[in-house]
Amino acid sequence: MVRSDPTQNRSNGPRLPAAALLALALAAAAAAGAAEARATAESRPPDATAMGASGGTAPSPSGSALEETRLHVFTLDYPHVQIPFEITLWILLASLAKIGFHLYHKLPSIVPESCLLILVGLLLGGIIFGAQEKSPPVMNSDVFFLYLLPPIVLDAGYFMPTRLFFENFGTIFWYAVVGTLWNAIGIGISLFGICQISAFGLTDITLLQNLLFGSLISAVDPVAVLAVFENIHVNEQLYILVFGESLLNDAITVVLYNLFKSFCQMRTIKVVDIFAGIANFFIVGIGGVLIGILLGFVAAFTTRFTHKIRVIEPLFVFLYSYLSYITAEMFHLSGIMAITACAMTMNKYVEENVSQKSYTTIKYFMKMLSSVSETLIFIFMGVSTVGKNHEWNWAFVSFTLLFCLIWRALGVFVLTQIINVFRTIPLTFKDQFIIAYGGLRGAICFSLVFLLPPAVFPRKKLFITAVIVVIFFTVFIQGITIRPLVEFLDVKRSNKKQPAVSEEIYNRFFDHVKTGIEDVCGHWGHNFWRDKFKKFDNKYLRRLLIRENQPKSSIVSLYKKLEIKHAIEMAESGMISKVPSSVSLSEYHEGKIKPLSPTEMENMREILTKNLYQIRHRTMSYNRHSLAADANEKQAKEILIRRRHSLRESLRKTNSLSRERPAAANTKRFLSLPKNTKLPEKLRVRNKTSSKVGDSSDSEMDAATTVLNLRPRAGKILRDQRQKQQRPLPEFRMEWKNEVDGKQDGAGAHQETSGQPQPSVGFRQPLLTRSRFGTLTGEDLSADHRSTGPMPPPRLVRQASQGERQRNKPENQPY
Amino acid sequence: MGSRASTLLRDEEIEEIKKETGFSHSQITRLYSRFTSLDKGENGTLSREDFQRIPELAINPLGDRIINAFFPEGEDQVNFRGFMRTLAHFRPIEDNEKSKDQNGPEPLNSRSNKLHFAFRLYDLDKDDKISRDELLQVLRMMVGVNISDEQLGSIADRTIQEADQDGDSAISFAEFVKLRC
Repeated sequence: MVRSDPTQNRSNGPRLPAAALLALALAAAAAAGAAEARATAESRPPDATAMGASGGTAPSPSGSALEETRLHVFTLDYPHVQIPFEITLWILLASLAKIGFHLYHKLPSIVPESCLLILVGLLLGGIIFGAQEKSPPVMNSDVFFLYLLPPIVLDAGYFMPTRLFFENFGTIFWYAVVGTLWNAIGIGISLFGICQISAFGLTDITLLQNLLFGSLISAVDPVAVLAVFENIHVNEQLYILVFGESLLNDAITVVLYNLFKSFCQMRTIKVVDIFAGIANFFIVGIGGVLIGILLGFVAAFTTRFTHKIRVIEPLFVFLYSYLSYITAEMFHLSGIMAITACAMTMNKYVEENVSQKSYTTIKYFMKMLSSVSETLIFIFMGVSTVGKNHEWNWAFVSFTLLFCLIWRALGVFVLTQIINVFRTIPLTFKDQFIIAYGGLRGAICFSLVFLLPPAVFPRKKLFITAVIVVIFFTVFIQGITIRPLVEFLDVKRSNKKQPAVSEEIYNRFFDHVKTGIEDVCGHWGHNFWRDKFKKFDNKYLRRLLIRENQPKSSIVSLYKKLEIKHAIEMAESGMISKVPSSVSLSEYHEGKIKPLSPTEMENMREILTKNLYQIRHRTMSYNRHSLAADANEKQAKEILIRRRHSLRESLRKTNSLSRERPAAANTKRFLSLPKNTKLPEKLRVRNKTSSKVGDSSDSEMDAATTVLNLRPRAGKILRDQRQKQQRPLPEFRMEWKNEVDGKQDGAGAHQETSGQPQPSVGFRQPLLTRSRFGTLTGEDLSADHRSTGPMPPPRLVRQASQGERQRNKPENQPY
Repeated sequence: MGSRASTLLRDEEIEEIKKETGFSHSQITRLYSRFTSLDKGENGTLSREDFQRIPELAINPLGDRIINAFFPEGEDQVNFRGFMRTLAHFRPIEDNEKSKDQNGPEPLNSRSNKLHFAFRLYDLDKDDKISRDELLQVLRMMVGVNISDEQLGSIADRTIQEADQDGDSAISFAEFVKLRC
């Protein structure tokens, strides 16, 4: 695909205006030795020896020709560092602007950052225009497509929730391909119709030119979409639909753009050309994806061997993805799809191969690059708007805008009706509205319009103006208003009433329940293809691409660490009071409940809002500006620890109660119940053969030995058990590992849940081999080696009755 | 696409479940494949461990309560019918259902049944009242470790006070419903 046009010779980029600025700024600094210095800088060709402020002008031809120049104490050589200097200044300016926005903390929530950045760009463009009295050079399309766009797409592709993406792939594909086609052709034809009306003075624009214009303006832009969707918190499904669509429609846009551009330049169009166009679409799309996947695998394979050179591991990730992008561009395939596919492929395997620090580095660096790119893009858009590139025609511009909106809305509506038949969760009206309204245009159409060859498009300036108007409208108006509209649509159905303190509690309660049920329902059952891929993945790919021994031991070692820590704590302090003592529960004064003042109510509400646990998000919502939610991790860890503690605590308390319990008591387990509930069956031997065990004595012995199990062996047992059952859950591990940051502690709580027996099994496992506890003798020690039971500390052994030991031994073979 | 699973579920069973719960055919088959994937023991029923193996539930503060909601009184295993019956409470209410079947039993996902379900999650001892203790437990589960017990106690008091109308310092089902309207 043509992204770099050799006929473009605007290679100066933004350097000239910055040079002007710089010259102004440095004029004062160069006051000393001013005349000579400036003369030196401007007139002399950049010399290798005239470096910066170093003194001494080397023998140069022009100098000696005139007269002998004295030794220069201070020189200014701007052209020498011009290029890097200006680039640095621009990036610095962009970053400083971002700091500025966040000074007023409410601002980013009202106005998306993209708008603010464009405003800054406009301001800057205005200054340059005013200073130079000519139109500032436009952002080079090359710069945009080769340098600024890839980091953003890479970032988005790397953090894309793969599972969600593939679940909705059909819908995304449908919207991207058919939707873009619909938009492009619709806008093109209707604009052509408008152009035919001679009153507007547009009759020289041909149908093909209109179609081309339609194709480039219908491209929904991932940069703009992301920038805006960060503010509004839509559900993940919607987010993935809009975002996925914006990524995938690149293929269609590229094909259509090239197709129509070539048609415009060709004299006659044959039918075979149209078929060539269709074939081109498949090649562009599929070819791009294949390149991406191929390079993704190569990258994963490379990282398998990098354990000696950890420091440059992140480099491979970036290099290979960028390579995939430019390789695809080289063949005129879709670079965006290539880099997305590469990132998504690489993600799973690279994560397991690289070290923890490398992984963090990769993530942070990616975020940094994409953040800077996005900022620069918007600023440049603002700068390039100011100038003499425009030709205003009321009819064309306004009708373009109108048609964009109309066709998008129509398209989304019609397509949704069709696709809803095939979806399990149909898209509601609100969803459709957000999809339609969230179709923002951005820098891609901007750059594409600048790439139009002016020879073929005499009215190019008109196109530029129209594109800019549409972009500004979508980014500003739609970007700013989408959030209030979403809230309005939400709130409309519920009736406002007196907010109560308890409302937050109830709502949060229900949300937790809903999330829990969602998790129970799982991710839409088990897809046949996904299972097949997983099998293939496990058998071949992972063996090939992932270094040996790495994942399992890290999980287990973290689990062990946590267990050891808790064991020590328990042994020392008796009980860790993270769980409220049951004493508080019984503190129930039978008094009147006094009415509270409004301030107290406010306080309460605030306390609640701050402290209630958040709902777990199924996928981490994409955020350009920050990494995975550390808060969620902390909360999850807290919940896990509390549950375990309350479990242990209840065990101990029940243990200290009377030993008599009705035999065969079918007690249920309720966590965090008051202390006098019976022990649950959960503690019974979790074994298929012995699931009928219900004697009280069994449970009692379980309880009795609870305190003993906190030994590092728990980890080993866990691992053995897992191996024996051979049910690796790579998907879970992957997801959880995503959240692991450098801290081992935080990871521990997560990693342990990835093993398929949950934390509670960590308690129960040792219980299985309680027959061991009763013995210290040598014969049993040897028996221990055969099984994987824990070796109890001798001093805490309780003697189990012989009879029980005999009976339960066969049942207690660890499974 | 779960073709393996659907052969284990007979069509008439699907019909029955459809009638009882209101799920569509494809939804039922999909949930069945989820059921079988959760059922590691492959004996057609789920136990509590099977639920606990879901990692997301482990970090859900109400995870245990939710799991318990699936198991009918006094039982330790839940079969597919029971599974679907519980899940049916969460199906969205469709308007056209209301007019259909006035004489038959109320559909499982009616508003009142949903509220009942939620109420049962609070009310553990099944006395049809949410006492202060029960509320306090739920609160404690949902709230971080930074809130002191007294604050929590006063929040619980306030909650009861807002809902309680007959002055028994507990929330009955009727009061619960009114609160949620």
